[in-house]
Amino acid sequence: MATQTFTIHYFASASSYTGKNTETLPAPLKLSLLFSELESRYPGIEEKVLGSCGVSLDGEYVDVTPAEEKGGDAEGERVIEVGSEVAIIPPVSSG
Amino acid sequence: MTTKDTPLPAHLDPKTYPRTQHDESKNIHLTLTYMPLDATIYLSQTSSPAAGANTLFLGTTRDTFEGRSVSQLSYTSYPPLTLKTLKEIAEAAVEKHQLLGVSIAHRLGVVPVGEASIAIAVSSGHRAAAWRAGEEILEACKERAEIWKREEFVDGGMEWRANADRDAEGRLRVAS
Repeated sequence: MATQTFTIHYFASASSYTGKNTETLPAPLKLSLLFSELESRYPGIEEKVLGSCGVSLDGEYVDVTPAEEKGGDAEGERVIEVGSEVAIIPPVSSG
Repeated sequence: MTTKDTPLPAHLDPKTYPRTQHDESKNIHLTLTYMPLDATIYLSQTSSPAAGANTLFLGTTRDTFEGRSVSQLSYTSYPPLTLKTLKEIAEAAVEKHQLLGVSIAHRLGVVPVGEASIAIAVSSGHRAAAWRAGEEILEACKERAEIWKREEFVDGGMEWRANADRDAEGRLRVAS
């Protein structure tokens, strides 16, 4: 059992799909590996939910696209550190 | 919804609300609350002797969606992002329209049908700016504010709504 973790919050369709509002996952984790990590825990989530979601890391929106897909190099890629707070942000519906 | 393994996170715990933000220099007031919205409070926050125009928008919950009867609606938010987004929206409107005050309040948790889920009060020197800014602020909130509506239907089932699917007149947006 990993003792080093980060917290991840799910909202709306993401919370329905996972059946959870929040959980902790092993840290550190490369940001670009977040979606595949979630896919391995919740098969189908990437296509059905995450494709239309934003991601925040410690209160800031971040890009989770792997560097190689963007034509960049993998160095300097962001990492979700121990104790960080991640949130999966589905399309919003206030008002 | 049941939470497995972990206690209720703070942002879903009504006891951690209301959460408010106030920028005195721009006269911006932001409120996220599980209590009923009180329009007179938001109007009094923005009005001043210099303001000749004060508009108030109240969005209230409807009892149907595409002909299906809605039994209950509820909202959740993620304040670390929501308050930041509302602040950006209010600041942009103050700057663009030279407003004298903006108050944005959103109710969370269960909102009984017919009650207000969002209140927007805007004050300006003259009416055109207040009308326009009120509409722009509402549309920006609907597009960007990190708040989610869940509709439960009388015939069973529940759905998370997405504003991007509908325009300001409630019409389904067709992907272009």
